[in-house]
Amino acid sequence: MTFGEWVKTITFYEILVGMKSTLKHLINYKPVTLQYPHEKRTLPDNYRGMLALLRYDDDTEKCVGCDLCAAACPSRVIKVISSEVPGEPTKRFAKEYSMDMTRCLFCGLCVEACPVDALAMTREYEWAVYDKRELLLNKQQLLAIGDRSFQVREKRLELQHPNVAFFNVSFKELPQKPS
Amino acid sequence: MFEVGVKIAVSLTQISIVMGVVLLTVMFLTLAERKVIGWMQDRMGPMEVGPYGILQPIADGLKLFFKEDIIPSGANKYLFTLAPIIALVAALVGFAVIPFGPNMRVDVFGVQVQPFVISDINIGILYILAFTSIGAYGIILGGWASNSKYSLLGGLRAAAQLISYELNVGLAIVGVLLLAGSLSLVKITEDQCCWIWNWFWLAVPRGGGVPIPQILAFVVFVISAVAETNRLPFDLPEAESELVAGFFTEYSGMRFAFFFLAEYANMILVSCIAAALFLGGWNAPAPFLQFHGSLEHLAWLSGIMWFAVKVYFFLFLFFWIRATLPRLRYDQLMRFGWKVMLPIALGNIVVTAIAAYFFPR
Repeated sequence: MTFGEWVKTITFYEILVGMKSTLKHLINYKPVTLQYPHEKRTLPDNYRGMLALLRYDDDTEKCVGCDLCAAACPSRVIKVISSEVPGEPTKRFAKEYSMDMTRCLFCGLCVEACPVDALAMTREYEWAVYDKRELLLNKQQLLAIGDRSFQVREKRLELQHPNVAFFNVSFKELPQKPS
Repeated sequence: MFEVGVKIAVSLTQISIVMGVVLLTVMFLTLAERKVIGWMQDRMGPMEVGPYGILQPIADGLKLFFKEDIIPSGANKYLFTLAPIIALVAALVGFAVIPFGPNMRVDVFGVQVQPFVISDINIGILYILAFTSIGAYGIILGGWASNSKYSLLGGLRAAAQLISYELNVGLAIVGVLLLAGSLSLVKITEDQCCWIWNWFWLAVPRGGGVPIPQILAFVVFVISAVAETNRLPFDLPEAESELVAGFFTEYSGMRFAFFFLAEYANMILVSCIAAALFLGGWNAPAPFLQFHGSLEHLAWLSGIMWFAVKVYFFLFLFFWIRATLPRLRYDQLMRFGWKVMLPIALGNIVVTAIAAYFFPR
């Protein structure tokens, strides 16, 4: 041990340096804390939050019950029971659609898999509940989440362009296409 | 008979005032500690209860009152109940001999009383050392009676740590006692009268002469005091990352609150002792810094103020050290206590004794 080190040891030099540092932080007090429930972070643009089902602007559901989201899901969150619209054998919809959000890992693969853009990820994240059964969401709940998160809705698919509607081709009463 | 009655009444008044001030200070300290450490670590500290969290101590106190009182199965109920009481009583009883203000006598119904010290006994500092040692029993018994391995380990650590560091506290103050020639805290404080260099950390005799500085003893005392109150970086008895909460792991509710109060009361007590022994107690750094001249009759007020300033400086130092330093390892703690602090304290006694013999004050 050199003499300089020895002097530093007996005078607690390193400890005093540390104490000077803490005192400096006390004097130039700039907290990095965010008072969470009162103030929230700005989320990134591509934030992947709670999943939701969407509707068209005439309140019909977008989902066609194709099951592709359930197939894409790596954690088997989604369960779809599809059914056909009575009287319209080629048009299908999801009779039951449930998500077990306790298992969801918010990867967004279901949203990418959806051919009609019926699924979307919202920016909601405050979904802590006391009973985890409340995280088993049915179709109505998922639609409600979509309703409150996406105010601006798309037009019905078959109204957008004649060639787009490759799923719902057969309507008994085809709506009037805008000229 | 009348005289005894007056004395008892005055003592009870003093005791209630001191207890009130100490407990209020503890309340304030719990908040101040969290705030100061938070600020030092770029955090905010408690912010929810009241504006800027200033009502947090009240919320904490209420919470502790209403918490369930749990006694673990297999615990020794008698000692489990007794331990927090011992710890708290031993911590509070030391305030009886602390001089909070100038040594003056006031006439109350024809009876002479000292208003700023509850009991000016001539072995004041010895009395405090004795009772803080009894406080260690509270911690050790609490750790043992809980029937939990974490508590037991915490209690054992506390036993080893308190013995080693109590020794250093005792030896560190011997130099001061040699200079003052008394064990009474009132007399020791009076001996440091007037200027900042007359305080015992530099110990220049009042009429001029050879200084016998006690600054090494002062440093040893402060470090050992931190260790004795189980504060960081010496908080091994309650090391939360190793032993859950150490000796009070199994305590809840008011019993836990007693240990908590005892820890903070001990902090205040050692701050008071350090201020009284080494930093001149209620003496102002310079005669003109206390009320004088036309305000002479208010000199006691400035005395109390200076005492409070010194005590709060030490309390701030406690927080400051806690915010800065990590916990010591156990062998480091023991090595530091026995191989560093103890020789310094012993050497200080030898040097002070020889110097005090050749240059009597």
